[in-house]
Amino acid sequence: MDLDALKEAVINGDAKGCTVLTEVAIQAGHSPQKVLTEALVPAMQVVGDKFRCNEVYVPDVLVAARAMKKSLGLLKPLLTQTGAKPVGTAVIGTVKGDLHDIGKNLVGMMLEGAGFEVVDLGADVAPEKFVQVAKDTKAQIVGISTLLTTTMLGMKDVLRALERADLRTKVKVMVGGAPVTQSFADEIGADGYGESAADAVDKAKELLGIK
Amino acid sequence: MTHRERVLTSLKRQQPDRVPVDLGGTLASTLNVHTYRRLMTHLGFGDDPPVAFLSRRSNSVLPDERLLHRLDVDCRAVILGNPDLRPERELPDGSLTDEWQIVWKHVGEGQHFINAGGPFSGKEPDPALLEAFTWPNPIDPGRFRTLRSQAQTLRAASDAAIILVLGVGAVHQMQFMRGYAAALEDLVAAPDFVQAFLDRYADFWTCMTERALEVVGDLADLAMFGDDLGTQQGPVMSPALYRRLIKPSHARMVQAVKKFNKPVLLHSCGSVAAFIPDLIEIGVDALHPVQVSAKSMDTAQLKKEFGRDITFWGGIDTHRVLPRGTPGDVREEVRKRIADLAPGGGYVLGAVHNIQAEVPVENVLAMLDAAREFGRY
Repeated sequence: MDLDALKEAVINGDAKGCTVLTEVAIQAGHSPQKVLTEALVPAMQVVGDKFRCNEVYVPDVLVAARAMKKSLGLLKPLLTQTGAKPVGTAVIGTVKGDLHDIGKNLVGMMLEGAGFEVVDLGADVAPEKFVQVAKDTKAQIVGISTLLTTTMLGMKDVLRALERADLRTKVKVMVGGAPVTQSFADEIGADGYGESAADAVDKAKELLGIK
Repeated sequence: MTHRERVLTSLKRQQPDRVPVDLGGTLASTLNVHTYRRLMTHLGFGDDPPVAFLSRRSNSVLPDERLLHRLDVDCRAVILGNPDLRPERELPDGSLTDEWQIVWKHVGEGQHFINAGGPFSGKEPDPALLEAFTWPNPIDPGRFRTLRSQAQTLRAASDAAIILVLGVGAVHQMQFMRGYAAALEDLVAAPDFVQAFLDRYADFWTCMTERALEVVGDLADLAMFGDDLGTQQGPVMSPALYRRLIKPSHARMVQAVKKFNKPVLLHSCGSVAAFIPDLIEIGVDALHPVQVSAKSMDTAQLKKEFGRDITFWGGIDTHRVLPRGTPGDVREEVRKRIADLAPGGGYVLGAVHNIQAEVPVENVLAMLDAAREFGRY
């Protein structure tokens, strides 16, 4: 059995197909690592590329990511058993005072689809919480999202809190969200900015030196 | 030229004496309550001016006539009232809920309330949900009770164009009642549910709108509703999907207004250039807010491509320039948008969306001053 059918099922957002095809792949003797890296990751890469050039849109990405998660849910316990390591750990959340989370969720799903372990802190996240969880999980990436012009300066507070906790050299901080620009990211001293969810994944990989 | 003539001429893509200006004319082109208070105080209308809310949910105001007169604004809003049955009410935790059983969470004094789900959140997208739901009464008398007196008061006080502000469109309503992410997924994964919802909501909306126009159609100059179709980067959904699933409902909504021979102003945030040909086709007269910070919303390009067939309304950047720029930056922004959008008529100037609490009063005034300075034809 090749993994193309599973890859297609992810791209098409076919959640039921993903569940069945993942089970079949495992029964056929494919390692969970292989299913992840040769089906799910490239499928989400395709979805991300299509999203970037407006071939597919947010609803399609959400549905594809939901399908991917079905498969990942089956693989995760097996990956843990085999001791497979994620390509990196990212702690993400929406900045304090802001409850918007679709953009952040998209980034989280696409990072998972690229093989990252994602710890999603949700919305309205205090700087101390970012720090604590980044420390506890030994994260390499901290991703902060904002939709509001009124809360975007809160990103700076997270950077300061990471500095105070002596974590600033240990994690790469990425920022994103509608009002954020590269120049704002530079101004507050973030390491990376992604214009879209797909860009955020590329940036995360670049920052960690992953091909 | 009267203020009304200036707006109506622009809606016909003809050239008035100067570019008309909107502030407070719609639910997405007014002031946040904090900015409003500061502006009123700054201009000497008292330290604690009375506040009439245009929308509690967005903490936005219906500005005082004295302010709009002083600032020489060309538009005024009339709004539908709360229904008698199940009016909007506050919950013990400060959230709001409404006749649609949607919950709006309070996040901070003076800030926009944020959608925390509705009656269809967390459920399977089954058309049976729509049957089981108690739909509000579109002609609940509470909605229309003050409509006529609002318009009469405005007519007596000014010669501005009167905008009938209608309820949100079908896409938004679905997002509010279902939760944003689920509503987006449904577009692809549950089109039958979406179709059934849109049909049902368009029935409600058109019935409500026709009654409103029966009440106030002789006094209102145009009608406005909103349905966001864009994200920062591009369309929310594929244009093909829009045409198949949503456009027919939008066409019905526009038609309900057109039956009364009134122009339609559609508010749609984000990068919506891809939908403009469809909006023109279904009869939308003017597009608000022209979110210039989103991709593919270059104003010179939009004017060149679509300026013959649609009026642009808004255009002054609220993402970066108004909150973070200097009055000089605001002046330059106004100059550019007028240069791009005003030639030949077809532009009503205003901020892209409600002016938020962090925008300095100086920038609001700089926008209006520059509009007068550069807006003369």
